[in-house]
Amino acid sequence: MRTLSLIWQYFVQYSKVRLAYRGDFLTSVITTMFGAVAGIAAVYLIFHRAPLIHGWSFDEILFLYGFGLLPLSLFNLLSINLYFFSEVYIVQGKFDRVLLRPVHTLVQILFEQFRIEALGDTALGLAVLWATAPKVGIALDLRFWLLAIVFTVLGATLYLAIFLSLTAVSFWMEDRVGIIPPIYNMMAFGRYPLDIYGTPIKLMLSWVIPFGFAGFYPVAYLLGKEGMLLFAWLLPVVTACFLALAVLVWNRGVRNYSSTGS
Amino acid sequence: MPPVVEVENLVKDFRTFDRREGVWGAIQDLYSRRYRNFRAVDNVSFSIGQGEMVGYIGPNGAGKSTSIKMLTGILVPSSGRIAANGFSPWRERTRYARTIGVVFGQRTQLWWDIGVVESFRLLQKIYEIPQAEYEHRLSKFDEVLELKRYLHTPVRKLSLGERMRCDVAAALLHNPPLLFLDEPTIGLDIVAKESIRTFLKEVNRENGTTMLLTTHDLSDIEELCHRLMIIDHGRVLYDGGLPELKRMLWEESTLKVDLRDRDQAAQLAVFSMEGVGVERVDELSYRLRFRREEVQPAELIRRIVNEVQVLDLTMEEQPIEEVVRRIYTGEALHDDAHGTPENARP
Repeated sequence: MRTLSLIWQYFVQYSKVRLAYRGDFLTSVITTMFGAVAGIAAVYLIFHRAPLIHGWSFDEILFLYGFGLLPLSLFNLLSINLYFFSEVYIVQGKFDRVLLRPVHTLVQILFEQFRIEALGDTALGLAVLWATAPKVGIALDLRFWLLAIVFTVLGATLYLAIFLSLTAVSFWMEDRVGIIPPIYNMMAFGRYPLDIYGTPIKLMLSWVIPFGFAGFYPVAYLLGKEGMLLFAWLLPVVTACFLALAVLVWNRGVRNYSSTGS
Repeated sequence: MPPVVEVENLVKDFRTFDRREGVWGAIQDLYSRRYRNFRAVDNVSFSIGQGEMVGYIGPNGAGKSTSIKMLTGILVPSSGRIAANGFSPWRERTRYARTIGVVFGQRTQLWWDIGVVESFRLLQKIYEIPQAEYEHRLSKFDEVLELKRYLHTPVRKLSLGERMRCDVAAALLHNPPLLFLDEPTIGLDIVAKESIRTFLKEVNRENGTTMLLTTHDLSDIEELCHRLMIIDHGRVLYDGGLPELKRMLWEESTLKVDLRDRDQAAQLAVFSMEGVGVERVDELSYRLRFRREEVQPAELIRRIVNEVQVLDLTMEEQPIEEVVRRIYTGEALHDDAHGTPENARP
């Protein structure tokens, strides 16, 4: 409870910061929206000619894309500090201050800053869902929204867990190679029907870096695709495993920081 | 009363490796590294009682920051024991963090883009300070620090002096019984320094807050601290009061004598035979140099007043900077670095 109210307080304060720079904020909102619309346009251009791709209609792909925006935008809302973590917290030494506060380090890192513009993607995702649901035969009833919320939270948590583990690596070494950007780009792969990829990529998106669980599998289940019930049930399991791994790696990283001071 | 901070045989080793030059060197570094151990803090022990204000000084790279980081729970010691406020700082870091305040002169803990008061409000949430207590403390702080004038200004627009006042206030909002200050007056003008010192003294007097501060400005120590610890190469060289330190290191004292008239010079010259150096400053004033272990100042002054007609006598104090410079450059104290120096606390 206390943590929740603290997170809310962080959110309110951070919103004030962003609104203090109105021009900057508006530009950012517009570019984010533009990016999302361009994404949908790309889906349209690539897929609208083909009637069925591996059993998926164009509307279903669009629905998948729209639904995928929900966990993605929630993740984007919270992940902003992870991008600058190595630079700001480790290199500039801001992590010292994090360690001096009586709040878990992860809470501080995840909730001290927000990418508020990401909420624009949430709105766009909802609009796409609303527009495509009738065409793919999905009723937007209470059951749907409850499942949507569960899938969104689990999906976003899974994204966060994966990137937290990767970010925690900077406790041991500077990421000069840059493993995070390519993996960030891979997130998009999980938001199309996995059947369009070859087996290696499909296996990787399911079991190695399971972005498929944050986008593809839950939607395939919602659309009533065959054999997807199992995968829908696996989502909380996979998320829990990756979250446990992330917290473990993170805590070890903090301990390493505490013994080396760098 | 048990001590607030107790440190026993504290050691911190860092492992570094020499990076080889060039691309080929970087590749070699990947599979074989020449590691070196660097001991930043070397077997330090001390204890601090409730309400003490202790200065922790030493040249750059002496191990001050490393010590502070271990005391605040940021760094884990390589060996040794710390108990502070009844906690082991790094083992019980989060619970311990509630009971301490930390000020870094070089880095603000406030949020850069929002008004100061918003940062305070966040801290209020973080430390769960009741509203009434929070308001009471803020208006109390305002009396000395005059915070109200810039409470709504974003931190990035504050001058360094204003920012430091806010930072010190921020560290004390939750009324911690123990406060660490790492160079709190660095880069400040004299007015800001005074204001912060006055504030710290008042907090210490009213709440009995224990404080440990590092500084390069020795007037901080003179004004605030009854006790100072000098650390160099990771070792405590001195732990005791400032006057005792001065007495210990002033090997030579000087006494300035102003004569009533020229004829008294001959009378004064007599003293040069008794282990006192007599130096002429101008026609009527002379400077006498002597070693305290050979000549007692009181005795010397009594005899001069009896035998010579003088207008004025002044004992000239050696500035503390000079004392400390001699320690840092290794002219003093370093010989008995392992043992406890004379005059030091038990």
